[in-house]
Amino acid sequence: MTELRRATKSLDTTRRAKELLQGFYNRAERRRAGEELAWCMAGVSSELLHAFDLPWEWPENFGTLCASRGVATGFCEQAEGDGFSQDLCSYVRNNLGYVSRMAELGRVPPEAPRGGMGTATMLLGSGALCDPRTKWFQSLASRYLPLPVFHIDPLGPPHDVNVDDPRIEAHYKELLRETLREQVAFLERQTERRLDQERLRAALGHAQEMIALLWEIHDLRRAVPCPMGSEDFFTGCVVPLLFMLGQREAAEYFRCLRDEVRDRVSRGIGVIPEERFRLLWMGIPPWYNLAFFNAVGALGAVFPIETVYFVGAPVEIDLAGDPLEALVDRTWKRAVWIHRWGAELIPENLSPSGFSQPGTRLIRQWVRDYRLDGAVMHRTRSCRAVSWGQVHIKNQVAEEGIPSLIIESDMADPRSWADSIIMGQVQGFLDAIAASRRSGARA
Amino acid sequence: MGFQGLARARELYEGRDQRARELKAEGKKVVGYLCYFAPPEILEAAGCVPYRIRGDVRQPVTRADEYVEPYGCPFVRNTFDLAVKGRYDFLDGVVMSHSCDSVQRMYGIWTHYKPPAFSHMVNVPHTITPASERFFRRELEFFMERVGALAGRPVQTDALRDSIACYNRTRELTRELYALRKADPPLISGTELLEVLIAGSGIPAAEFETLLREVRAEVAARAPRAGAKRARLLFYGCINDDVTLVRLIEECAAQVVMDDTCIGARGMLGTVPDGDDPLGGFVQYYFRGFQCPRTYRGTDLSRFDYVVDAAREYGARGVVLYMLSFCDPHKFDLVDVRRHLEAAGLASLVLEDDYTLANLESMRTRIQAFVEMLA
Repeated sequence: MTELRRATKSLDTTRRAKELLQGFYNRAERRRAGEELAWCMAGVSSELLHAFDLPWEWPENFGTLCASRGVATGFCEQAEGDGFSQDLCSYVRNNLGYVSRMAELGRVPPEAPRGGMGTATMLLGSGALCDPRTKWFQSLASRYLPLPVFHIDPLGPPHDVNVDDPRIEAHYKELLRETLREQVAFLERQTERRLDQERLRAALGHAQEMIALLWEIHDLRRAVPCPMGSEDFFTGCVVPLLFMLGQREAAEYFRCLRDEVRDRVSRGIGVIPEERFRLLWMGIPPWYNLAFFNAVGALGAVFPIETVYFVGAPVEIDLAGDPLEALVDRTWKRAVWIHRWGAELIPENLSPSGFSQPGTRLIRQWVRDYRLDGAVMHRTRSCRAVSWGQVHIKNQVAEEGIPSLIIESDMADPRSWADSIIMGQVQGFLDAIAASRRSGARA
Repeated sequence: MGFQGLARARELYEGRDQRARELKAEGKKVVGYLCYFAPPEILEAAGCVPYRIRGDVRQPVTRADEYVEPYGCPFVRNTFDLAVKGRYDFLDGVVMSHSCDSVQRMYGIWTHYKPPAFSHMVNVPHTITPASERFFRRELEFFMERVGALAGRPVQTDALRDSIACYNRTRELTRELYALRKADPPLISGTELLEVLIAGSGIPAAEFETLLREVRAEVAARAPRAGAKRARLLFYGCINDDVTLVRLIEECAAQVVMDDTCIGARGMLGTVPDGDDPLGGFVQYYFRGFQCPRTYRGTDLSRFDYVVDAAREYGARGVVLYMLSFCDPHKFDLVDVRRHLEAAGLASLVLEDDYTLANLESMRTRIQAFVEMLA
C-alpha cells in the first residue's frame, strides 16, 4: 500500500473550513463541564439538537477522522477482536473498537484524534438510512455503554408508490411526525428542558438557506472547466452539511463558498490546469486517502458531481407555524422530490438530516448537464447501503453513452485500499475513454 | 395413490415449485413472497396461492452480477439470480417487505430488471411503538387493497378469518411436531422437520395442514428410538431453506431439536389472534412478536431470553449460530446472543456461509469438534 494522504483543496473557502469545524469539534469540550452530550448519527436532525442547545458528536464523523489520521484500522481490529464481524460497517467497528479500547485502558486511547470523543450521556440513533444505524447503538449500549438510547424511525416510500396519493402522504408523514415527537419527548426528559421552538425555527431557516446555497454551488459546478471538485466537496462541505445544518455560521460559510465558486466560473478557473475528463463520483470516499482525487486530477480528470451527501433542490416550508411540522414538511417534500427522479435504489429517502442520494433518472440527466465522460464508483465492502445499486447505475449511465469503473475498498478501513492497483485501474479507464474518443473522431 | 406424510414432504421439498405450477395450471394466481412481514394469510384470503420464494444453494449465482453488487445478502442475490434465469416466471406476482436493507433494495432492482405482472412492497418500521404499529397496520391495509385488485375482488373479512384459522391450525400442528422432538432421542429429526416446513411454505395452507396431519400420525406411531445419546442442539440464525446443513449436523452425532429461524420456530410456533380484528392480530404476530433481529428491541440482553428458554425446554445443550455473509442484523446480534448464551451455560458454535455451503467439509470438522466438546 502506498502512502495515504489528505486531499489538497482548490478553494480558499474550503481551506478555511478548519476554522469553522474547529467550533464544531470544540463543542466536545463541554463534556468536561459535565454537561449532557449526545452521540448521534446521520438521520437525526441537527436543527433539533441545536434547538435543545444540546452538544453532540457523531461517531460516523469520528470514523472519518480516525480514517484520515490512520488510526481506524486499530480500532476496527479491536472491535473484530470483540467478535464484531468484518462485514459490518467500518464506521461502526471504528466506534465500537474505540469504546472497547477506552474501557480497556480506563481513559481515552492516546492514538484517538483530537483527544477522542466527548463522553456521551445519551445515544440518538436513526433507522432512517440503513440497518446498521438501528443496530449500532443497540450493540454499543448493550456491550459497552449502558446509556439511554432513542432511535427515530421514519420510512421512505418504495419507488412504485404513488407519492401524490394523499393517503400515502398522510401515512408516511404520520410515522415521521410521531417519531420526531417521540424524539422530542426523549430529549426533553434527558435534558430536562423544553423544546425551544424559536431556536428550532431559526435553525430551520438557516438550514433552508444552506441547502439553497449548496444547490446553487452544485449548479455552478456544471461549468467547464469545473470550479470545484470532489476533493473540496468532501473536505469542505460534508461536515458542515451533515453536522452543522441549521447554524448561522455554516450558512455564512456556504455563502462564501458559493461566491468563490461563482467567481471562479466567471473567470474560467478550473480545479486542474487541463481538464481532459469529467467524471461522476459514486459512493462514499476513501476518507483515509482523499488525496486520491488529487491523484486522479493529475491524470487530467475532475469530479464535478457526487452521488453521496446529496441535498437536492430546496423546498418551500412554512416557518411561521409549528417548526416541528415544518421539519416534517421539509423532510417529506425532499423525499418526494428525490422520489420523482427514480427511487428504486434509494427507498430510505425520508431522512430528517436533509440529505440522501439522487434518483436514477437524475443521474442520467447529469451525464448531459455536467458533460460527464465517465463514472467512478467506489464499492465500499462494509457499506452495502450506499454501494448497493452501483451496478444498476453503471447500466443506466451506459445507456447514456458513458462507461463506468468500479473500484473496491472501504470508506474508513484502509486495509482494503490497494493504491497501485486502483490507480492502475483509473489510468486504464481514462486511457479507454481517450481511445474511444479517438476512434469516435476517426469515425 | 401418491406419497403421504414424510415421503410427500420429501417430494414437495425436492420438487420445489412443482405443486405451485400445478395450481397455476389450474387457473390459480400464484404470488411469491420473501418474508412473513407480508402475511401469506392475506394472499390466501384473496384466493391466491402464496409461494415462499426460495433460493437454491446448489445453483451458483451466474446472472445476478449483471444487475447487483456481489457484496450483499447471498440469499437474496441467489433468489434474484433464479428469477433472472426464469425460475420464477410462473409467479403472477412478487411481494417483498422491508425485512432488511438487502430485501428492501432488491425490490427496486428486481422490479426494474424482472418486472412481475404484480409487485408490492410492505414497508416495516424498525422500532415497536404505537405509531409504528399503526403504520404497519396501514401497510397491511394497502397490501390487502392491492391483492384484492389482483384477485379481482376485495379481500373479505370472513375469508381472512378463515385463512387465519387455517394457518393457525398449521402452526398448532407444527407445535405438536416440535413437541415430539422433546423426547430423547427425538421422534422426528431436525432434517425431517425442516423438510416438512420448507415443503409447506410453497403450497396452500389447507394442503399443508393435511400434510402435517399425515406427518404427525406417521411420526407419533414411531416406536421410541433407542441407541446412543446424541448431542442436542438448537439451530439459530439466518434463513435456512435447505436441509443440507441440518443433515450434516445430524450426521455428526448430534440432533437438531429446536431452532430459531424464520422458516422454523420464529414463524411457526405462535398463533395469530383471530378475534374481531384480523389486522390487529397480524400486527401482534408478525410485527411485535416476530423475533427477527432487524427489529429493535432495546439493549437488554434479556431480549434473547426466549432463545435460552427454548434451548432449555427442548433439552438443547449447545447452539449452532448460522450466519450468512453480510447479514447486518444477525451479525450485530451475534456478539450479544453469544454472551447471553454463555451466561446461561450454553455453548455455541458459529457457522458462516455465503449461501453456497461450499465449505461443508470444514463445517463438518468444526461441528464434530463442537459435539465432542459438548460430550
